[in-house]
Amino acid sequence: MANENILIIGGGPTGLEAARGIADLGYKAILVEKREILGGTPEASGYAALTPDMRDAGEAMQEMRDAVENNPNVEIMLNTEVTGSTGSTGDFKVSANTGGKDITIEAGAVIIATGFTHFDPGRETQKYGYYEHDDVVTLVDAEKLLKSGNFVRPSTGEKPKRVAFIQCVGSRDRQIGNEYCSKVCCGISSKQAIEIREMLPDCKVFIFYIDMRMYGYWENEIYWPAQEKHKVNYIKGMATEIIKKGDTLIVKGEDTTMRRPMEVPMDMVILAVGMEPSAGTIAVADIFGVHKNKYKFIETIGGALNTVSTNVEGVMAAGACTGPSDLEDCISAAGAAAMKSIAAVRRVAVPA
Amino acid sequence: MMALDLSQNKHSDVSMDEKDRLFDEVKSDERWEHVLYGCYECGICVAACPSARFYDFSPRLIAQAVAREDTDLIYTLMSDSIWDCSQCFSCDRCPRQNSPGQIITIMREVAVKNGLGTAKEALAGYGRIIYKIMLTGTQVSPDMLQPDAFPDWGTHVYEIADNLDDWRRALPPETLHTTETSWVIDDKTIIELYLIWHMTGVMDLIAGVDEGLYDIIVDVMEERLEEAGYDDVTFD
Repeated sequence: MANENILIIGGGPTGLEAARGIADLGYKAILVEKREILGGTPEASGYAALTPDMRDAGEAMQEMRDAVENNPNVEIMLNTEVTGSTGSTGDFKVSANTGGKDITIEAGAVIIATGFTHFDPGRETQKYGYYEHDDVVTLVDAEKLLKSGNFVRPSTGEKPKRVAFIQCVGSRDRQIGNEYCSKVCCGISSKQAIEIREMLPDCKVFIFYIDMRMYGYWENEIYWPAQEKHKVNYIKGMATEIIKKGDTLIVKGEDTTMRRPMEVPMDMVILAVGMEPSAGTIAVADIFGVHKNKYKFIETIGGALNTVSTNVEGVMAAGACTGPSDLEDCISAAGAAAMKSIAAVRRVAVPA
Repeated sequence: MMALDLSQNKHSDVSMDEKDRLFDEVKSDERWEHVLYGCYECGICVAACPSARFYDFSPRLIAQAVAREDTDLIYTLMSDSIWDCSQCFSCDRCPRQNSPGQIITIMREVAVKNGLGTAKEALAGYGRIIYKIMLTGTQVSPDMLQPDAFPDWGTHVYEIADNLDDWRRALPPETLHTTETSWVIDDKTIIELYLIWHMTGVMDLIAGVDEGLYDIIVDVMEERLEEAGYDDVTFD
């Protein structure tokens, strides 16, 4: 008798949406999450507002949690890490550790939704000095400051007068080994720039970039308003170094439009760190024998026509564990994975 | 081609307050909100720009500088680059609907109104044209060509200027009018034009950029206005 339950590994937006979808279709989802709370990186990193619609992130994650908590078709296991797996479609036996106790979870198919981690700016190849200068922060740090409603310089606690974003930190960089674009940082920086301009109207905000990648509606919903309404300064040209001079940070780079090198003073610099596979993504991929690409994201095998199937039958991967993704991508992939995983168990349970 | 020098604080003799004030004047123009939205450096304006082929001139750079509100850089451009624009408005095809050409129109007007030194220099080449149009109310004629002022007309501009009269007779064009032989404008029209220029401050603008030219024009205007019964109209 084939097992028709679907195991979902990872309780971020992708896992939550996959669980909701499977439950809605009348199947049972077993959702395991290694943290003690659902909501994934948006929750754990304290995101303030979502890109591009500026919706409150905490509220959005709560809505996603509400759809699966107390849902009779969803079994939630927090503080749970997957440790091994045997079997195949219709008959996976997945070992896990939950709250210090070893257990075995039986499932017909598996969805990996283990997500990404933010690039550690200590590994950047430029000289931005994230770990040296208090006022050099990341998008993640800035998001926390914005959420607190008190956007101030970490060094002094005072409101900054000049803030710069530096794009593509840890992305599009052969020296680091991450040639890919992290896809969301242009939008998030622009969103944060708008929030800073609204919170601190006297603060000048600059974005140093290589290309602004504002696909689809992000162009008219974020990029143009940031420039036209909120007077955010977009400067094409990257910074190579940040040095401290007295109380101020000096950003050294090239202003390519004006054809001149620049050394501009800033009170704060925000590094637009990209996405890398989370430790959980790498570990779970290895447990299931799922192929990873050269960046250690999970490789899906169907190209544009199938964004969730992996080399292992019955094991899907969805969301940011497969590569840089925005929330919309994650939700779409979660739906596809829910559908494909149910189709996989049905093929075994109800042969054609 | 002279390379455009955009070094920071190039005009250190002018205070930042003055640079800010001039840009505030540019921004306060009622056309402003329709000429600048935002720029993403696509380069269409430069691709379409005839001046960009002859000068180290970039409408994209103008749009960027004003979008950034970098008043130091804007002053540098107002003191030099904006005078390289042909005002043909080919740049109006901007996908963001910016108009670098109209931005420049406003910047030029502010430069002239404030008597910026470079406005005087840039307009020096147009003295004969202003003289002719202001006094007769009509046309540009070929002998207005001031060869030193228009390098984009090519090196043969001197030869053309020297032989203009003979060459035109050899053609000949439909009319052979020159600054001396334009058609006649009726008295009522020219008096109205003089009054309009007087009342709208155009004459003050000319005084600000070329005092010698102003004196010559005003002499003629005052005489004609007096003959027409406007003895109370005075220029000073």
